[in-house]
This record gives sequence, structure tokens and C-alpha cells, in this order.
Amino acid sequence: MDKKKIAKVASFRYKILAIIFLVLAGGLVLLPKYQKQEGIKSEALLSHANSAERYISTDQIANKIINQDPSFILIDVRDEESYNNYSLPNAINIPLKKIFDEESIAYLNQNEFDVIFFSNDNFYADQAWMLCDRLGFKNLRVLNGGLNKWFTTIINPTKPNDDMPDQAFELYTTRKASSMYFGVAYPDQVITDDSSLKTETPKQVITVQKKKKKAAEGGC
Amino acid sequence: MGPLIPNGMIPIEWDSIIAIFIGIVFGFVLESSGFSSSRKLAGVFYGYDFAVLKVFFTAAAVSVIGLYYMDYLGYLDINQLYVHPTYLWGAIIGGIIMGIGFVAGGFCPGTSLCAVAIGKLDAWVYVAGIMIGVFLFSELYPFFEPIYNGYFLGNVTLIDSFGWNPYWVIFIFSMIAIVAFAISDIVRKKIKSVFY
Repeated sequence: MDKKKIAKVASFRYKILAIIFLVLAGGLVLLPKYQKQEGIKSEALLSHANSAERYISTDQIANKIINQDPSFILIDVRDEESYNNYSLPNAINIPLKKIFDEESIAYLNQNEFDVIFFSNDNFYADQAWMLCDRLGFKNLRVLNGGLNKWFTTIINPTKPNDDMPDQAFELYTTRKASSMYFGVAYPDQVITDDSSLKTETPKQVITVQKKKKKAAEGGC
Repeated sequence: MGPLIPNGMIPIEWDSIIAIFIGIVFGFVLESSGFSSSRKLAGVFYGYDFAVLKVFFTAAAVSVIGLYYMDYLGYLDINQLYVHPTYLWGAIIGGIIMGIGFVAGGFCPGTSLCAVAIGKLDAWVYVAGIMIGVFLFSELYPFFEPIYNGYFLGNVTLIDSFGWNPYWVIFIFSMIAIVAFAISDIVRKKIKSVFY
């Protein structure tokens, strides 16, 4: 009895398989589609974003530039006009809007150099960092405080008060020295070439004693 | 998650070992399903045995459906899979030569090695022919090179080049497969059965 039933079903086995096959294939068409998550996982992005390691300070950058450290590239994410006005030495201009252009990606998605983003504040640089980090690009940093902080710390460092600790003075002198590297002139460091102060060198009078004529002496 | 090797789930050093294992299993399945017989393979061209058509069509359709379900469920990223590069005219001319060789010899390169393993003499001759072909191709390589390296279209799929929806392509492909199976069964019943 059971064998007969099984045989009856089994005689349709190819048709049943064909139907299963079509249902599975049709299921792919009918399934609701969704936008897939691209890039790294959200947990990883959050932990990267919370890490203080993604910032680099202006002092560190100044130190790297002065020592001609070849291991990093500076990316200016402001627009072209501001870039042409002022930027850090050897910075590359990639405005935030063009960050995923083909020629920009070559700079950002590589493993050889540290990429350091900066803008006026770290606001736009942070956005650039976030966009790139999400796609899994490596070694990305943000200049903490951006160019504004660069000006207040490196280019125009504030002089510490007398009651400040010793480290503040040391930091000030380091910053002052680096600002001089970037072309700032300090009045106390300028070697003046003032000709009016020059005193005329007195003429040296060399007295030459003339030989007195002597009366001819008798020879032999 | 997947594919397993590019995402580091399986270290890349296991590649060759896995390849050898898959090769052995593939050869075993080919032999056990009778694909080491040139008469069975040639049957698809004469209409008395459609096992080749059925096996390869089913394999392609089942795997593509499985892959897209795994992609949908997030177990596999379909964009990370290796896509074989397309050299258009090289593929067309090579396909024609391969087809002629298939009808004439009754083997494809994989099944010929399978048949060599079970000691078929015609397979030995076939493999010797392959070797002569390889030798001639290598000697005449400078002459063939423009076609061999030309007409390069990149690692494209039908979906990329025509902008088709992959899910519909799979559905239509499966329907074509079922229709082809049904027609091949009808043809096989009409042809006088051949003993082999």
C-alpha cells in the first residue's frame, strides 16, 4: 500500500523538482530588495570614531614637516579658493565634494602613507574622515583644530605668563622656533642691519719714522 | 562573511590543498556519472543521451540560485567573487574549436583525463592530441597573440554589460533550463535508442 503511494509520487519526481526549482528562482525575483550596507560594520566605525587616535595635533604636524618626515600626505578638504589663499606646505587640495573622484581615491585609498585631513576647523575634515573610514580606507587622521589652531599655536603662539610652569615656556620656545621655520619674523630675533648706528672706524695713523740722513761716514 | 578565502576565513595557503581536494571529488563524480564514456558525451549531439546538457545546466542554475540567496541573506558578497576576464574573439574562436573537438573526439579536456584514469585508449589518443595542440599553439603564439590578448572587455558579466536585473535573468534562465530538459526528453524518446 505504502509502496504504491510512494511509487505514484515518485513517478512525478521530475515535475516536482522542476516546480521547486522554479519556485526558488521566482522567490529571488519576488523577495523585497534592500540597500546593502557598504564598507565596514557600524560597530567598527563607531569605535574608530570614538578613538582619540584619529586626531593628530598641530605640534606633531609641525614637527613632521620640519623633520621632512616622508610618511604622510596632507589633504586640504576646503575649496580651491581657500587652498590657493593659504595652505600647509605640500598639502594636496581635495575639496570635500570631490572626495570620491577617481583621481582623489588614489591618494586616499592606499596603505603606504598616513593621510591627514585638515580644514579651517576640524569639522569638514572630520566629515571627510568619516566618509573614507566607512569605506575601509586605512591610516586616516584629522588635524585637530584645523588651520585655525595651526595659526593660534604654531604661527602665532601665545606667550606664557610668568606664573606658568616651565613646560609652558619650553612649548612656547619650540612653537616659536617652528613658526620661524614657517616664515614668521620676530623683532627680537631679527638681525638688524642699521647703517646709521655704524660708527666710522677711526683712521689709523701709522707713523712712519723717517730715517735721518746721516753724514757720510768715512770708508776704509 | 563570504567568500571565505578573500575575507581571510580560510588562510590563502590552503588554496592548493582545497583545489586538489575539489579536483579529486570532481573527477570522482564525473567518472561515477558516466562522463568518462565518449559515447555518452557525444550523445548530446546525436540526440540519444542528454545527460551532459542536464548535468551542466542544472549545476549552473542551482549554484547561481544558491549564491544569490546567500548574497541576499548576507552570507556572501557577490561582488567579491572572481569573474573570468572576457577576450571576446578569443572566446568565440576558442569555443568553436572546442566544440568541434568535443563532437569529433567525444571528450572535453576534463572528462578526457577522467577517462585516461580508468584506462580508455581513445582518451590517451585524445590527451596526446591536446598536448600536440598546446605545443603548436605555443610555437605559433606570436601569430595568435593579437587575438589571444585582444578584444579585452574586462571582468564583465552579462548583468554588467547589458544592465539586466540579475534576479530576472536567473528566473528566465531557470525556465529555459526546464524547457530544455523537457524538449531533450521528447527528442530522446523519438530517436532510436543506441546501445553504448
